[in-house]
Amino acid sequence: MEARTRILARVRRALKERPKALLPEHPHTPLAEDPVDLLLRRLEENGAEAMKLPREEAKAFAQRLAEGLPGATFGKTLPQDLRPPLPELPPEEAPLGVSWALFAVAETGSVALSSEEGRRVHLLPPTHLVFVEAGRVYGSLLEALQDLQSLPSALGLHSGPSKSADIGQVMVKGVHGPGRLIVAVLL
Amino acid sequence: MRAKAKLYPKEAARLLREKPGVREAVTGATLHFERNRLRAYGEVSIGAWRERAKAVKDHVLSHLDHYLELAERRLRENGVQVHWAETLEDAHRVLREVVQRHGVRRAVKAKSMLTEELGVNPLLESLGVEVYETDLGEYLIQLLGEPPSHIVGPAIHLSLEEIQRLFHERFGTPLDAPPEALAQVARKVLREAFLTAELGISGANFLVAETGTLALMENEGNIRLSTSLPKVHVAFVGIEKLLPRFQDLALFLPLTARAATGQRLATFVSLIQGPAREGEEGPEEVHVVLVDNGRTALLADPEAWETLRCLRCGACLNACPVYRQTGGHPYGYVYSGPIGAVLDPGLLSLEEAYPLPYASSLCGACLEACPVLIPIPKLLLTWRHRAVAEGLTPSWEKAAMKAFRKVMESPALYRLFSKALRGLPLPQDLLPLLRAWTEGRGPLKPSPKPFHELWKEVERGG
Repeated sequence: MEARTRILARVRRALKERPKALLPEHPHTPLAEDPVDLLLRRLEENGAEAMKLPREEAKAFAQRLAEGLPGATFGKTLPQDLRPPLPELPPEEAPLGVSWALFAVAETGSVALSSEEGRRVHLLPPTHLVFVEAGRVYGSLLEALQDLQSLPSALGLHSGPSKSADIGQVMVKGVHGPGRLIVAVLL
Repeated sequence: MRAKAKLYPKEAARLLREKPGVREAVTGATLHFERNRLRAYGEVSIGAWRERAKAVKDHVLSHLDHYLELAERRLRENGVQVHWAETLEDAHRVLREVVQRHGVRRAVKAKSMLTEELGVNPLLESLGVEVYETDLGEYLIQLLGEPPSHIVGPAIHLSLEEIQRLFHERFGTPLDAPPEALAQVARKVLREAFLTAELGISGANFLVAETGTLALMENEGNIRLSTSLPKVHVAFVGIEKLLPRFQDLALFLPLTARAATGQRLATFVSLIQGPAREGEEGPEEVHVVLVDNGRTALLADPEAWETLRCLRCGACLNACPVYRQTGGHPYGYVYSGPIGAVLDPGLLSLEEAYPLPYASSLCGACLEACPVLIPIPKLLLTWRHRAVAEGLTPSWEKAAMKAFRKVMESPALYRLFSKALRGLPLPQDLLPLLRAWTEGRGPLKPSPKPFHELWKEVERGG
């Protein structure tokens, strides 16, 4: 406790004569276009693959993606009907992770993944397929954050494939996380 | 980390002479970052964003005691163990205790400047812990035993050829292996480390007081993995990293990304609320270490406290024509470039960081780039004034400035000296003052005519 007391005392002493600055509000900037369309465009600009489609077609898409794979790993909150018919593998062995996003943010091209789903499923397989409902796509990050009622132990915002330019300034995908991110918005 | 800032000018000159490739690599990388930042700033109302970010940070800093206590309360409610570290030794004590209690043998680390500042890696090694830097750039410099050269791109001073040679020697990859192949080798080594480490260590970009949320930004996924897979997560957080409200992240996450790399948002953002809940995977224990290590002293400084707004985006490094020549190593401390030149004297002491406030041409590019409007050029002058007042500047400099003033105040003396300097065949390599210039460069060639004569000719001609 001693360090705490000393740090806080020093902070108070430092601030004694300092004028107090006001906390500004963040303005909302309304989108000029459909949030789903903007989300798809931004995700593609970020290097992800993105599409919008009815649920039936989404199931068929997942099945096509799963063709020839030995198995996959699934998020805990992924609805059963969206699971491609594959054996479930441990996330560290699975070539594909399929998960269900809490929400998406159009302006940044992001999907939000909750730890209630698991964590390895979002990070370990080289390919990550994420489903999100069109009604859960927010225009702005501000709207999304203000609307969150409760926070999971960890919330991940994923906006594209894992990448790095640390080796000679050349962009490389799939350094630690998935090198391929596919987002399907369910209409 | 021990500061070696005193050697700045000598080390910078040596680097330029002995490793000319560094300038090329650093200039290329920083100009690339800089172009991306300019494009990203241009896409939004950046003036309003920066003003608002400055205002939020000034609010937090002027109510820091309140927000620190609030953050501590919220973190505890979330099941996080909170520690306070006034000094480097305090921080070490916390980490040593965690390592011993859990019998940690292996740790994975997310890139964090604060952990560099605290010397976390040498401490862990002394405790027999195998520590892996997991950011690809950090991993490269860990293999080489070098400190980071840049806040965001720690390995920007290395060329592809140097990295290919490093991997050839370490892992037997071909000398012409493409970057993708090298990244796959690193991925394999580090994946094994993620899956077996008992401890994950990170810094934090932000700590939200209202909710006790740690926010971390990255592009590779290594921070998400480091904070998700090991059973214990320790986050070191500078006390200046606080944000008041959860919604403030909606400004600070995109602003930092735009300033740092020109992205709309970092590829991965982790918003960490606490340890894994019942039935969830994730760390069983989360520790947050609130670190002072010189920050309260800087907060008390009536002029330099504004430095604490810094987001560690690296934008001022990319914009700086002086930093671009050498990268970060010659600065001799964790924080280099313009922000280092004003932060290091505040965190260490002016004496220890002495020549760094002079590592600038005062061109002002750093202020143009700064997302939170830190008046770096003004602060560089503040530290220089203090250096003179504290008698840190060499005596020859004081004498020279005095003589310079005399000459500049008298047109007759000025003409005389200007003529003498142009006319005399100076033994330049023998004069100690000029030798610093002529080493590694050609001799100085004075103009045959002084400026005031040239100007007269222009006036007559025009």
